[in-house]
Amino acid sequence: MSSDEAPRGPEDREPERAPEPETAAEHAGEGVGGDMPETPAHADEADASADSDESEESVEPSPEAKPEPALSGRQRLAAALWPPRVNRAQLVVALLLFALGLGVAFQVRANTTQNQIRGARQDDLVRILDEVDARQQRLDQERTQLQQSLTQLQTSSNQAKEAQAQIQLKEQQLGVLAGTVAATGPGVTLTIKDPGGNVQAAMLLNTLEELRAAGAEAVQINNVRVVAGTWFSDANRGTVTISGTTVSEPYVFTAIGNPQDLDTALNIPGGVVQSVASDKGTATVKRSQSLDVTALIPLSTPDYAHTTHP
Amino acid sequence: MIAVLGLVLGVVVGLFVQPDIPAAWVPYLPIAIVAALDAVFGGVRAMLDGIFSDKVFVVSFLSNVVVAALIVFLGDQLGVGSQLSTGVIVVLGIRIFSNAAAIRRHLFRA
Repeated sequence: MSSDEAPRGPEDREPERAPEPETAAEHAGEGVGGDMPETPAHADEADASADSDESEESVEPSPEAKPEPALSGRQRLAAALWPPRVNRAQLVVALLLFALGLGVAFQVRANTTQNQIRGARQDDLVRILDEVDARQQRLDQERTQLQQSLTQLQTSSNQAKEAQAQIQLKEQQLGVLAGTVAATGPGVTLTIKDPGGNVQAAMLLNTLEELRAAGAEAVQINNVRVVAGTWFSDANRGTVTISGTTVSEPYVFTAIGNPQDLDTALNIPGGVVQSVASDKGTATVKRSQSLDVTALIPLSTPDYAHTTHP
Repeated sequence: MIAVLGLVLGVVVGLFVQPDIPAAWVPYLPIAIVAALDAVFGGVRAMLDGIFSDKVFVVSFLSNVVVAALIVFLGDQLGVGSQLSTGVIVVLGIRIFSNAAAIRRHLFRA
C-alpha cells in the first residue's frame, strides 16, 4: 500500500515550500537510482523496526517518525493511496498482497464447496466419523420405532376394520330378526282366502307358530312385518288387527325359510291348510326361490334397558 | 495504490480461477492466510507511523507465513495439530487486533 513511505519521508518535509518540483524530483530520483537513496534510510529503519513492524514499534521508531510531525496518519494514508506510484516497493508489496488475495479466495472457495473434509486432520476426521456413526445409529433406532408403530397402527386398523365388518354383519342379522331391515331369500307364500270371514286372530297366530316352528326367519302378513312383539286381535268379520294395523282377507303370509320345510309344515294333516279348509276358507301355498320381505318396523331405542358389557 | 490493486486483483483471480490446491497444503493455507493478514496489518500500522519499509514488510510477511505453517506442520507431526493451529490463530488474532487498534487510533484519533 504505502511502500514508498520511507522515500517520501525526507521529501515530504519540503513540499510546503515547493510542492510541484519536489514530486518531479522524487520520481526522477527513483527512476535513476531508486534503490540508492532509499537504502541508507531503510537500513537503520529496518534494523530498528524489524520486529517493531508488528509489535513494539511505538517505542523505538519514534525518533524516526519525529522528523515529520506535520503528517498525521490520515494524511500519510491518503498520500500513499493517491497518486499511484510505480516503484519496486509498491510492486513487491502488490505481489505479496496478490498472493494473499489469491489464497483468501481459494480458501473461501474451498470452504464453501463443502469439501471441508478434504483438509481436515485425522483427529477431526475420526470425530466426524464418530458423529456420523452415532447419528446413523440414532436414525436407525428412530426408523425401527417408526416401523413398529406403523405395524401396530396397521394391525389395529385391520382389527378395527374387521370388527366393524363383523358388527355390520351382526346388525344385518339382528335387523332381520327385529324387522328393521328388509330381507330376501327363498321361502313360501301362503294365501288364505276367507270369503266367509271365519278366520280369526287365533287362526293367524297358529299359522305363524307353524311357520316359525318350521324355521321361517322373516315373515310378513300383507304389509305388516311380524316380529317377536307382534300381537293379533280380532276385529270385524274378515278383518284382523295385527300390532295395531287392521288387515283384511285375503291374508298373504310371506315367509322366508327353507321352502320345502315350510310347505310340509303347512300341509301336514290337521295343519294350517286343513284347518282353513274346515273353516270354509282356502289356503294355498306357493314355494318360491326368491321372495322379498319389505315391510319394516321402525327402530325404537329402549328407554330403560341398557346393554351390559360383559 | 498499486498494492491495493494487487490485493483486489488477487481476490478476483482467485474467485474466477478454479482453485486446485494440493491436498497436502490444505491444512496450512488458512493459518498462512491469517499470518499474512497479521503482517499486512503490521505493515499498515508501520505506514501510518511513517516507518514503513518494504524490505521489512516482505521479510515479515514471508517469515510469518512460513513460521505459522511450520508450527502447524510440526503440530501435525506431534499429534497436536488442531490444538497448535488453534493457538497460532489465537496469537495472530490478538496481534491483528492490537495492530488494528493502533491503526484506528491513527485514522480516527480514538
